[in-house]
Amino acid sequence: MEKTKDFRLYGAFIVLFLVLLPLGNLFGIVSNNTISLWGRYFCFAIVALGVDLIWGYTGILSMCQAFFFCLGGYSVAMHIVMKGATASGADGTSIPDFMVWNQVESLPFFWAPFQSFGLAMILGLLIPAAFAFVFGYFIFRSRIKGVYMAIITQALALAMWLLFLRNETMLGGTNGLTDFKSLLGFSLASPNVKLGLYLLSLAGLCGTYFLSKKLVDSKFGKVLQAIRDSESRTSYTAYRVLDYKLAVFIVGALLAAFAGMLYAPQTGIITPGRMDVRASVEMVMWVALGGRGKLKGAIMGALIVNFLYSICTSLFPDSWLFILGFLFVITVLYFDKGFLGMIEIIGNKFRKKQITEKVSGRQVVES
Amino acid sequence: MNYIVKMWLGFCLCLFIGKQVSAQSDSTSFYVNEVLSPSNDSARTQAIKRLVSIRNPSTFPILSAINDKKIYMVDGKAVTTGEVEELADGSEIFPLFYLFPENKPVLDTDGKPKKTSEGSLKKVDISRSDRLSLNLILPYLNLANPEPKKRIVAYGQLLTSADDTKIKILSEALKLENDKEARTAGKEILFQLKLNEAVSENEARAYIDSLDSNWGENVTIILKEYSASGKLAGAKKYAAEKVEALEGLQSRIEKAQNLFSGLSLGSILILIALGLAIVYGLAGIINMAHGEFLMIGAYTTFCVQSLFIDTLGIKSDMFFFVSLPISFIVAGLFGLVLERLVIRHLYSRPLESLLATWGVSLIMVQTARSIFGDLTAVKAPSFLAGGWQVMPHLILPYNRLFIIVLTIVVVSLTYLMLYRSRLGIQIRAVTQNRSMSACLGVETRKVDAITFFLGSGLAGLAGCAMTLIGNVVPDMGQTYIVDSFLVVVTGGVGKIAGAILSGLGIGFLTKVLESFYEAVYGKVLILALIVVFLQFKPRGLFPDKGRIAED
Repeated sequence: MEKTKDFRLYGAFIVLFLVLLPLGNLFGIVSNNTISLWGRYFCFAIVALGVDLIWGYTGILSMCQAFFFCLGGYSVAMHIVMKGATASGADGTSIPDFMVWNQVESLPFFWAPFQSFGLAMILGLLIPAAFAFVFGYFIFRSRIKGVYMAIITQALALAMWLLFLRNETMLGGTNGLTDFKSLLGFSLASPNVKLGLYLLSLAGLCGTYFLSKKLVDSKFGKVLQAIRDSESRTSYTAYRVLDYKLAVFIVGALLAAFAGMLYAPQTGIITPGRMDVRASVEMVMWVALGGRGKLKGAIMGALIVNFLYSICTSLFPDSWLFILGFLFVITVLYFDKGFLGMIEIIGNKFRKKQITEKVSGRQVVES
Repeated sequence: MNYIVKMWLGFCLCLFIGKQVSAQSDSTSFYVNEVLSPSNDSARTQAIKRLVSIRNPSTFPILSAINDKKIYMVDGKAVTTGEVEELADGSEIFPLFYLFPENKPVLDTDGKPKKTSEGSLKKVDISRSDRLSLNLILPYLNLANPEPKKRIVAYGQLLTSADDTKIKILSEALKLENDKEARTAGKEILFQLKLNEAVSENEARAYIDSLDSNWGENVTIILKEYSASGKLAGAKKYAAEKVEALEGLQSRIEKAQNLFSGLSLGSILILIALGLAIVYGLAGIINMAHGEFLMIGAYTTFCVQSLFIDTLGIKSDMFFFVSLPISFIVAGLFGLVLERLVIRHLYSRPLESLLATWGVSLIMVQTARSIFGDLTAVKAPSFLAGGWQVMPHLILPYNRLFIIVLTIVVVSLTYLMLYRSRLGIQIRAVTQNRSMSACLGVETRKVDAITFFLGSGLAGLAGCAMTLIGNVVPDMGQTYIVDSFLVVVTGGVGKIAGAILSGLGIGFLTKVLESFYEAVYGKVLILALIVVFLQFKPRGLFPDKGRIAED
């Protein structure tokens, strides 16, 4: 029963996003803008998967996922900007244009690896993972959890945001990195490349979804849920809670970074504004609104909230924050399980009615 | 015999010099009179030329008034007009200043500065060619400008002028100087000029000492220049020593200033974190909207100011004292409403409360933005302008001092409330064990509500104080909220002492680190320090003692 329902849902998802939208785009019904918009939403959905693994399944409220997201995004952006660089520095190597405006003479050392695509990809994943490892190790080791964890990660997001805003960190400052031209020889402005990136994001979302599903269904996933329900009891049963938490924190960071890498080429800009505290809290909110503790809920939340965002900001720009704020409050107060929970409650009621009708009908016959 | 002759000679010499001096000042006033009411046209031209060549600083005000075409006669005396003031009916009036022999405001019979409109004054017309003859001494005219800032600039310009008499003019202009800051700046220039012309080592040393004791703005630069390119070797060395001593002193002053700003930042953090800590300790609520209560307090102050000044027309600083309690109450009431509507359902669910209150804060910020727009400012009360000058170059601004005092008062009151009142006992009891206090007859819901009122009110008070040092913007709360949460985390949950200590600590560290590195790196370092600190004290400075199991 549950399985067939799942398959029906996957089928609908695939028909809509893999067949209808791309075909519509090819025949000119769906605009390129819409395609690239949904491509970005898929990236957000991938981040939401990570948040759900960390928060929904393990109960760690991390408020710095947007930072990991941006680490991934910046590494791809750095590669693209390096390739598109026209100016050259004092020692003959080419350096990005914005550095020339900032009177930087030679390429900073940490930009050098990003000239190669492979290294940029690896570093885009490796840096967030290493960061999550070091930071997570010290935090989980001292048994910081719950609210403390949320506050500390929030402070991290704030500090990193401030750091990226500075010009002397050589990452473009407030303006971020922009003016993307081509990636691996494909021009990022062409509609076909946009469609390709859309499909790539969709594939990435599906891939990460099934991997995450495998993960939470495995024994590892069961331990994560045990930690969420009672950390101390899990540790009394001789599980090394620190290792599990650290592992899932790194997985979440990797997912966020992966999403960021897909996101940057599609938007054509990445700025520190993407990684401030609010961005991180919003990522958590997608999961809360969609339904935490359910991978499908996380994806649904991310897609629905972002879709709402683009509708609302074009229809009534001033009231988006009101809507979002009310959604936050209402969901937390009344719909603890989010959209998905709401659907299930309605579905259950409906089914119960059917069953009771069936039962009562039989009784009528028997008597 | 010889002796008597010498005495006589000396006496005669004295008389002679005295006569010369009095003749000079007499001639100055004579020429001034001649300018104001000339016996014939060429006499005025002559008189102005004479005054220009005498270059007596006491005549500069009148010459500069001539140059600006703002010279009038009142009761037979020359006056000039000051800054224009616009009256309610649109007409303009000017304060008046006497020009010679002293440059001072004209007083009416009550002893108040006299003000009049331009039409009622009799203008002294002076021809253009006469005014052009003033060009020679234009740079000196500003030496008698009524504004001290302009005088300071004029003193500075003397440095580069090629005139031989500049030292004499400067020293005479300084005799008339009555502004403290301008006198220091002028003396500095004077000593610098004299030092550069000094021929003997002792003389140079004396001027270096004078520069040192005068302690103007640029003294280190001047002495450094002299120690590099001066003429006298011994004096150069002496100057270098002085530079070293001065730089040491300046870095100590800078440190003191840093400590002071750390103290003031810390006290703001304490004001904000106090409410947070109490609420979190009592009810397990992480109130992300706490910063927005700060904003409410600030906007309340703004509204009270508008009410007083625009509606009631009371142009005094009273509004600030009135707005202190009002902002406490208004923010507290908003907190009460929030508690009733949202937070009541979230007790002991910190993570959910964090998300819900974040939503609330979004709504509140957007509401404030649509009501008040993006930027408003509260005029700080005039008695808090300026600062307490502990020593030259070390000024502690009154507004920051006020915030520190306010924090001390508020913290003591909160302490008394928590530890010396019945309500305090109840709050502490509920914090320790909610169900047990409920069993013993404490109305926990009521205590919760009151605590939330107090916590939000404290934030509102902090917001009112914040208007003294910054603008009022809708998202002003967000700037401090993460920092104040860090204060709560490091201090330990629900502990006043923890909030105070860690608030001060984080404030100090931020400012000290900022003085070494850029502000941003200071922030990153603080975060790293807190993470390291929590390795050793995971439950903050003052953890709860007891054996309550975690879950």
